[in-house]
Amino acid sequence: MYIEVKDVCKQYSGHVAVDHVSLSVPDGCIYGLLGPNGAGKTSLIRIINRITHADSGEVLLHGRPMTDDDVRSIGYMPEERGLYKKMKVGDQILYLAQLRGMKRKDAEQAMNVWLERFELTEWKNKKLEQLSKGMAQKVQFIATVIHRPPLLIFDEPFSGFDPVNADILKKEILRLRDEGAAILFSTHNMSSVEEICENITLINHAKVVLQGRVSDIRQQFKKNILEVNTADGQAFNYTLQNGETMHDAIARLNKEYQLTGFREILPSMHEVFVESVKSSNYE
Amino acid sequence: MNKLLLIIQREYVQMVCKKSFIITTLLVPVLSIVLCIVLPVMLAEVKSEEKKNVAVVDQNPDAPYARLLADTDDFHFVGVTDANEEDASEFDAFSVYEAEKNNQEIYALVVIPNRFADNPTYNIYSEKSVNGNLERSVTNSLQDAVRAQRIESYGIDSLENIINYCNPHIQSTNIKWSDSGEESLSSADLSMILGFVLSMLTYMFVIIYGAMIMNSVVEEKTNRIVEVIVSTCKPMQLMMGKIVGVALVGLTQLFIWGLLIGIIGTIFGVSALAARPELAQAATDPAVAQTMQELQSNSEMSKIVQMILSVNYMQIFVCFILYFIGGYLLYASLFAAFGSAVDQASDASQFTAPIMMIMIFALYAGMFCMNNPDGPLAFWCSMIPFTSPVVMMIRLPYDLPWYELAGSLALLFATAFGIIWLSSRIYRTGILMYGRKFSLKEIFRWIRNS
Repeated sequence: MYIEVKDVCKQYSGHVAVDHVSLSVPDGCIYGLLGPNGAGKTSLIRIINRITHADSGEVLLHGRPMTDDDVRSIGYMPEERGLYKKMKVGDQILYLAQLRGMKRKDAEQAMNVWLERFELTEWKNKKLEQLSKGMAQKVQFIATVIHRPPLLIFDEPFSGFDPVNADILKKEILRLRDEGAAILFSTHNMSSVEEICENITLINHAKVVLQGRVSDIRQQFKKNILEVNTADGQAFNYTLQNGETMHDAIARLNKEYQLTGFREILPSMHEVFVESVKSSNYE
Repeated sequence: MNKLLLIIQREYVQMVCKKSFIITTLLVPVLSIVLCIVLPVMLAEVKSEEKKNVAVVDQNPDAPYARLLADTDDFHFVGVTDANEEDASEFDAFSVYEAEKNNQEIYALVVIPNRFADNPTYNIYSEKSVNGNLERSVTNSLQDAVRAQRIESYGIDSLENIINYCNPHIQSTNIKWSDSGEESLSSADLSMILGFVLSMLTYMFVIIYGAMIMNSVVEEKTNRIVEVIVSTCKPMQLMMGKIVGVALVGLTQLFIWGLLIGIIGTIFGVSALAARPELAQAATDPAVAQTMQELQSNSEMSKIVQMILSVNYMQIFVCFILYFIGGYLLYASLFAAFGSAVDQASDASQFTAPIMMIMIFALYAGMFCMNNPDGPLAFWCSMIPFTSPVVMMIRLPYDLPWYELAGSLALLFATAFGIIWLSSRIYRTGILMYGRKFSLKEIFRWIRNS
């Protein structure tokens, strides 16, 4: 386990922002932190970053409590992106890299590689305010990952990206995972969760309402629906009857129609999200 | 590299490389020299193209006064005889003016009535409101004339000298005793000017650079970069880095201004010498050198030199730097804290208004203390840390007991560090709070809770 959050609570002047939340992110894993607006995701992320401190509970790094020095090994991209508008792209990346403890020379080398990768090399000496929003987002991403942090925290990484650049970004995030980084990733974008997250925690009203592997969760929420295709070109959904197994259903359907294909429909993460947030609101 | 140094470096480089900084840094000395030296010199060189004609009617027998009025740079006096000389009661100024106007352009008409020495009132007639210089130059000439006339009327030999002797010009010499009773000359005026300049400098620096810090804090907050930065370093480091960085920017600016004013002043001096070689020659002329030496040995000159030397510059300089740093830290950290509590610089006025009020009070208290540098107001205002950096500058050139100085400095620095500590607590909560205006009450809660 790279990072473990254990039973963390946080209150802001009478309002509970994080209520006994636990989760753990292993190395080489992309972990989704989901939840509606105001659920407490940003508060939790700030506690992990040691920007604020938990009222109770602890954050463990490799099984030992985290210290201020460990924060350097986190790459954090906040939801509200921010860079110095008047500073040149290159200076900005170098400054942030040095603040995270990189030597200037190493930082410069790494920066050039990243700028090349995002086709931003010619913008190195331009001020940030001259860049388009998408380019500025890429600069922010570079500033976040340049020091090769073993733990990355992205708050809504895809917001503001067009589909082409979102794909480039997704590819880079997957590559960072393959290189062994643990990635905690907070988002509203459920299709990206299905595509890249292995595990998720869903928070609502400061509490964990759902936690586990994405594939397990989708199984758990499935409504036992089959999508069936027949030889005469029909396609329809069939819901399993009480106690009926999929095998029985297919055998029965195959007698009635000539089946050419069938597949079990799993709920999208979007449906899972909406359903579990709604049901937890009623509790 | 140390994070604090890195932050200081960034703040410094960013501000110093700004166009606005470069422009003000270069322009202010040039402008101030132009406004203070070049412009007045040029204006003095500019004379009105032609002298204005002023007609003078002197109704005294033989017109003794009209003859005394010598032409000035601006006015040419023209004696006019009154057509109706026989009967002064029928004198009509307007018709004389109209008549003279046919001959030449007339600006004004001065009428000096008969028996002026007994009843010294004269009239100036004109169509436009009259230039003050005209009245002054005519009055001065007539004053001297009437005075001489009256003195003469007594018929006493050398009465003029007697009267001058009876109007003594009294002077004083301030002599200061050192502990061993050694005497030295001092000057109250010089102390006053020095104190005033130093306190103005402190006041301006705190206000200008304090506001700069606040804007920089607000900018980081609205840019949201602050969240990234504080995930890499402590908020206290960021705040102090900013405060120190901006202070260095200010000192750089002051240094460049001093340097530029020095250079431009030298250039002006040299070019003035080049334009008038006789000046340069005069300076090297042994005769002149001798005169200079004589001047210096001359009591008046040596007194001034002694007065200038009597001020304890080393002590004043050291104290100035200490108060400057203390006062700056105190106010800069307050500005940083208030900047962190707002979303836009324009929202900060509710917090900065009290700071401004205290600063302005300090400035006025300082000016008031000039008259009584050892009075109770001066004493208390130079003890209270919020006013002492400004007020103490006024009192510095007048020797203070060392324990007052030490006490005031200790108080100032203790308070400054206390305020920095409080401000850092406000700052680290404030920079992450968005979307609302915060009252002082809430800010006090941040101090308690963080």
